[in-house]
Amino acid sequence: MLAKLGDWLDERFDWHKVWEAIFLRKIPHVNWFYTLGSATLFVAMTQAITGILLTLYYVPTPDHAYDSVVYITTQLPAGWFIRGLHHWGASAMVVLTVAHLLRVFFYGAYKYPREATWITGVFLLLVVIGFGFTGYLLPWDQKAYWATTVGTQIAGIAPFAGDWILRIARGGDELSAVTLARFFGTHIWVLPAALATLIGVHLYLVIRIGISAVPEKDE
Amino acid sequence: MSMHRNNRLGRRDFMKAAIAAIGGIIGAAIGLPAIPYIMGPALKKDVGDWIRLGTTTKVELDNPTLFKTTIETQTGWINAEEEFSVYVLTDNGQDFVAMSNICTHLGCRIRWIPDEEGFFCPCHNGVFAKDGSVISGPPPRPLDRFETKVEDGILLVKRG
Repeated sequence: MLAKLGDWLDERFDWHKVWEAIFLRKIPHVNWFYTLGSATLFVAMTQAITGILLTLYYVPTPDHAYDSVVYITTQLPAGWFIRGLHHWGASAMVVLTVAHLLRVFFYGAYKYPREATWITGVFLLLVVIGFGFTGYLLPWDQKAYWATTVGTQIAGIAPFAGDWILRIARGGDELSAVTLARFFGTHIWVLPAALATLIGVHLYLVIRIGISAVPEKDE
Repeated sequence: MSMHRNNRLGRRDFMKAAIAAIGGIIGAAIGLPAIPYIMGPALKKDVGDWIRLGTTTKVELDNPTLFKTTIETQTGWINAEEEFSVYVLTDNGQDFVAMSNICTHLGCRIRWIPDEEGFFCPCHNGVFAKDGSVISGPPPRPLDRFETKVEDGILLVKRG
């Protein structure tokens, strides 16, 4: 049945070619470090799913944000689990992204002709850090509040533009309802859009160019 | 092609099966908890608690009397006060009928109009008689009734 549907679609737009290009492409003999990128992608997907689930209940206003998080964690069936996955997944994202970056760096895989892949990867790292920074504020507890106070203050030290950056990040002088709302909007709309676009380009390049082999000793 | 000779599982097929199995387990680990997580609040039923309306002497004889009271509700993470209105009817000052003021058609609030001897719904012209039975319009059934009891001259109704 499923095979028949597959054949029917294949006859129309040859999707099998796409499948083969992605999953059955030729790769050099590599090692387990080469799975770090896929691992990052996998965690990104679980982050998307658990994040969408969290938005069903989370409210980004100072008077209800914390209460809605407590509600998710203590009242909802499996709420602690969904939130827990998102919480730990966030740390895993940063760790895996950096580990992936280090593998590419130490194997010299960023060199010609893969510079563009590397550059999109660097932007992806920035997006992941942005996710971490904006997501950290959302529970609106003491830790979140003061971490963001300090974080935005650090941004404020930047020469010349510092004060502007601080005010734009906070949406004013102080951390407020405006800050929470814009961090939320950034966390669930702006960054996911950037992430999806960059991952699309990144993966296209990985598949299009092919991955590099483990470098030889004398290379 | 897919199977090796003498029916041994090939490397490629083993990998396929392993990926499907692990993927299935991971998918279930996230997918299954998502169901109660989404359904949770929908399955929660309000507990039927007794609500004090006021002294029974306030109920006019043979004339539906409106009792308004505020009740504390908790929905999700919000504690709120909600207005709760009940029409009470008695024909002897002893036995009380407590009726909901919510139209059985689509949930609008109905109102007793003494001059017209009827409960009127503003949304789709549903009309109910004094005892809550349908006179005209789209309502499918009479007004809902609450269980009542009297304690020390105070009338109480059971919600839910």
